[in-house]
Amino acid sequence: MAPEPNNGPVTEHVLVWDIPTRIFHWTIVVLVAVSWFSADQGFMRVHLWSGLTLLALLLFRVLWGLFGSTTARFVDFLHPPRKVVAYLRGHEKVLYAGHNPAGGWMAAVMIGVLLAQALTGLFSNDGLHFTGPLALWVSEDVSTRITSLHGTIFNIILVLIWLHVVAVGFYLLVKNRNLVGAMFTGKKHSRHVPAGLNLSFTRLYIALLLLGLTCGIAAWVFFQGVP
Amino acid sequence: MSDFGLGRMSAPAYGACVALLTALGLGVAAWAHPALLHSSLQIMGLEAVPRAAASSFYAVRVAPLFETRCAGCHGDTRAKGQLRLDSFAAVMRGGKDGAVIVRGNAKASELFHRISLPPGDDKAMPPSGKAPLTADEVTVIKLWIAAGASGEGRSVKGAPKPVLEVKIPERDPAAVQKQRAPLAAFVTQLQARFPGVIAYEARDSAGLEVDASLKGTTFGDADLVALTPLKARITRADLSGTSITDASAPALAAMTSLERLRLARTKVTDKTVEAMAGLKALKSVSVVDTKVSDAALAPLRQRGVVVYGGGNGP
Repeated sequence: MAPEPNNGPVTEHVLVWDIPTRIFHWTIVVLVAVSWFSADQGFMRVHLWSGLTLLALLLFRVLWGLFGSTTARFVDFLHPPRKVVAYLRGHEKVLYAGHNPAGGWMAAVMIGVLLAQALTGLFSNDGLHFTGPLALWVSEDVSTRITSLHGTIFNIILVLIWLHVVAVGFYLLVKNRNLVGAMFTGKKHSRHVPAGLNLSFTRLYIALLLLGLTCGIAAWVFFQGVP
Repeated sequence: MSDFGLGRMSAPAYGACVALLTALGLGVAAWAHPALLHSSLQIMGLEAVPRAAASSFYAVRVAPLFETRCAGCHGDTRAKGQLRLDSFAAVMRGGKDGAVIVRGNAKASELFHRISLPPGDDKAMPPSGKAPLTADEVTVIKLWIAAGASGEGRSVKGAPKPVLEVKIPERDPAAVQKQRAPLAAFVTQLQARFPGVIAYEARDSAGLEVDASLKGTTFGDADLVALTPLKARITRADLSGTSITDASAPALAAMTSLERLRLARTKVTDKTVEAMAGLKALKSVSVVDTKVSDAALAPLRQRGVVVYGGGNGP
């Protein structure tokens, strides 16, 4: 599973985000919106499917953070708190190919909170006819409490989304760096990445294997709730 | 898409824009979710929290209905439609579509509309799968709303009388067995020795009744002493007509759970009655046709024990 080095010719734009990371990011955006809408309107079947898909993708992202391309790996973008503070204060003039120290923790927290939301959803119930696939694994009282937590975590997600949008907007409008574009094309201008960059990109088939594994887990979870 | 942003903006200007957008977003959320707005204002102390008096019609008749029939889905752990019905303030605040109560107008109140729908309707409340409200319950809510949905008024004209609900607690056989277990072997043994004398007082109790009256004079002091292992569990003892004497006083005094005791036509005297001073659970005692005096019975009468016999029966 060793990643391949980026030894291509020197260009003005440099590939920093691999395809799996980009597809993951934008698919999550759509699925969170679908989950929100379906819960609000009572389309619980849709909510179940979007939740399980989110679960599969988030589990994939965790694995990709361990075995994926350089910029996708947790070790690349999770920095010690001191470094995050120094970065936010503008004390360090270092360029980062992937997430900067603050953005790295933002990404990790977002993944964690979304995962918590997906997991609590599995044990939740709507008090009527719908229960999550694993709701029968716990008592009704516990399921009700987890449902309440599921609702609370949603509000946290809204706050995180807003912070994320504010941060990205800051880079776009104040620092003159288009992070949104980079997450679409995967490329940043060479001026915004460290010199002598040596990124490695894990092969796509590895991503597909990992995704297959996590989809299998989500499918297993789904069938726990099938009578 | 360009690598560079839309143009440079200063950080303070950007901060101001973010603050403005955040305020705008919160404003839209408050407009779209009036219940949320009122809840926030009340928490911040900017709006009075509507309260209902404890003796009000709402508190006595309406709130219990909401608590038992609605709060499962519209309470603190779950608030479907962002509507809570577990407090007067929450009821008046409404849900994500606004107020559910229009004071003085039941027909215009969404809450009344929903509970009046036929059970098969998708929007009926409670929803299918839950027991519908009774006609009286719907009438109580309707009349309360029509009378102004007040948290103060103590009565509403024409409201059906409340039905007293008697709840019979469910038995837990396993729990009863567990309670009986420590002395079960002794009970079985003594039941075999004294057939028809010892029995559990109820199916869901570990308490014991002793009825030796049918044994007559064949049941004496030594027999009562034999029941000592069960002393803490005996709640009723009918020893009428047996041959027990004051020699049984210590055995009787040890029956700390004893509530009812019959010693009619026995040879007990004041000594036995005085020994019962420590039986705090005692509720009634019969000493008809015995030599027990009123003086010995006085302390029992003083603490509220019903006494039969002794010349001064109840």
